[in-house]
Amino acid sequence: MLLKPENGALPIPQAEGEKDGGRDGETQALTASQKEVPSPLLQETPMEDLGARREEGAVDSTITPKGARTLAAKALARRRAYRRLDRTVAELVQFLLVKDKKKSPITRSEMVKYVIGDLKDLFPEIIARAAEHLRYVFGFELKQFGRKHHTYILINKLKALEEEEEDLGGDGPRLGLLIMILGLIYMKGNSARETQVWEMLRRLGVRPSKYHFLFGYPKRLIMEDFVQQRYLNYRQVPHTDPPECEFSWGPRSNLEISKMKVLGFVAKLHKKEPQHWPVQYREALADEADRARAKARAEASMRARARARARASDRAGICPW
Amino acid sequence: MASSVLKIVFSPSHPQGGTGRAGVMTDVHRRFLQLLMTHGVLEEWDVRHLQKHCYRVHDRTATMEALEDFINNINSVLESLYIEIKKGATEDDGRPVYALVNLATTSISKMASDFAENELDLFRKALELIIDSETGFASSTNILNLVDQLKGKKMRKKEAEQVLQKFVQNKWLIEKEGEFTLHSRAILEMEQYIRETYPDAVKICNICHSLLIQGQSCETCGIRMHLPCTAKYFQSSPEPRCPHCNDYWPHEIPEVFDPEKEREAGTSRASKRSLRSRQH
Repeated sequence: MLLKPENGALPIPQAEGEKDGGRDGETQALTASQKEVPSPLLQETPMEDLGARREEGAVDSTITPKGARTLAAKALARRRAYRRLDRTVAELVQFLLVKDKKKSPITRSEMVKYVIGDLKDLFPEIIARAAEHLRYVFGFELKQFGRKHHTYILINKLKALEEEEEDLGGDGPRLGLLIMILGLIYMKGNSARETQVWEMLRRLGVRPSKYHFLFGYPKRLIMEDFVQQRYLNYRQVPHTDPPECEFSWGPRSNLEISKMKVLGFVAKLHKKEPQHWPVQYREALADEADRARAKARAEASMRARARARARASDRAGICPW
Repeated sequence: MASSVLKIVFSPSHPQGGTGRAGVMTDVHRRFLQLLMTHGVLEEWDVRHLQKHCYRVHDRTATMEALEDFINNINSVLESLYIEIKKGATEDDGRPVYALVNLATTSISKMASDFAENELDLFRKALELIIDSETGFASSTNILNLVDQLKGKKMRKKEAEQVLQKFVQNKWLIEKEGEFTLHSRAILEMEQYIRETYPDAVKICNICHSLLIQGQSCETCGIRMHLPCTAKYFQSSPEPRCPHCNDYWPHEIPEVFDPEKEREAGTSRASKRSLRSRQH
């Protein structure tokens, strides 16, 4: 499948452990600005010079032939190691893009198993570089679900366009169905019983186990796909007899769409204004304010880090390229 | 370990053309890349359309770069990721196509995450039959007969038929009257893999020296040529002769693909496209 990494010791320093950059507790944006790692495009010669500086212990000014050979061998090993690191980062980028196409979250253990292999000690550096590539080259942001769950998804930073959704085919109708369900959940106070969801869909001519030309098997789409893709949460309601289950918004829905947008969609459907539902409208306004605050905090801390980095690099006198 | 860690501090921003090596990515390029990736493979007129669309969305005022420069710019950035936007042509009528392909890996890894182990093996079996065949096509029957030999979970023939359709939908195979051949996407993506894995069975075009699946062959000396390569090579020859053994070329020479003619035939394109969409 993907290239298997070979064995070998790597004289590459560990990137520092994950910083506590979490803003809203639930997700962290992983960009290179959060981690002090070299920009991925700045790979080649500069690294080797730094590698030399990194050697533990002073380098003696008088070098014997044997010493020169050792140094040359070390330099070669370093270059090989960097190339291998580059390749692993590139493979991880491809792996993440391909996995994200299916909209399923990617776990750290999957990444280690299929791509990183025995470079797993360098996971923080590798994933940070991959995140930077994804951001700069493709316009995707790599987000982590919470600090404990090593699960990641890609968020598209480019604004979504309605025409494109149609071009893409396939996905359009399914996401439309999802938004209907998200709308129902929101209007019912952020959770909806399973029976209510199926009742709504039945009125639209969609039955759980009857093949639908747009959605396939709706039951599988909703109960498996949407839940697995973290668009919906599905849980049993405690103390219900017979046991009932309910849906709520999954973490991915919170990232990809907002309460205000969903309320707007519901309003349009009923040919009314969002303000027609004052409770939901107030809640959506509060949600917008929260998002704006979180965004402002994120931007401020990124600027602060950039300033800190600029100061530090001035001091160190390292030319980035 | 932690005690010997040194923080290496670099500027976080990417060189804005500073190195003179890598190009500059803007949202125009990013959207282009994302959409190209979504479609897997696109014909050239689609790609031009896409480029215009991306400029319209993100940078109306900018002058649109020539497509070739636009793509070269992106490719210079993609180089460090071992991928590139590659240009090829459909084997039946030479329409130019573009796809984002891996440079490094030599396997069918891009399919690997979309398909199960037994499905990938079915593709491999179909691929082998296609490469070994004389026409570049493998019949559905012959492929399905190999279903018992597949690795992984046991697959029934009925299931295998659906998997083959999945390959067609995802643009890895083309179906024509119950027979399967490789989609131009598969040829673009897997040429290197195929040449390395089947060095003896693989066929090469005498004109362009690329992988050949469908084409014409000289009945005397056996050299092969792509249909569009044949069209170009014999374009102004009243008497087509084999470039290798000089014997008469026994086949009908196809017409060279002309994008202008395609555009003029605008209304009839709709019906042509529905025919093609079955194949492509």
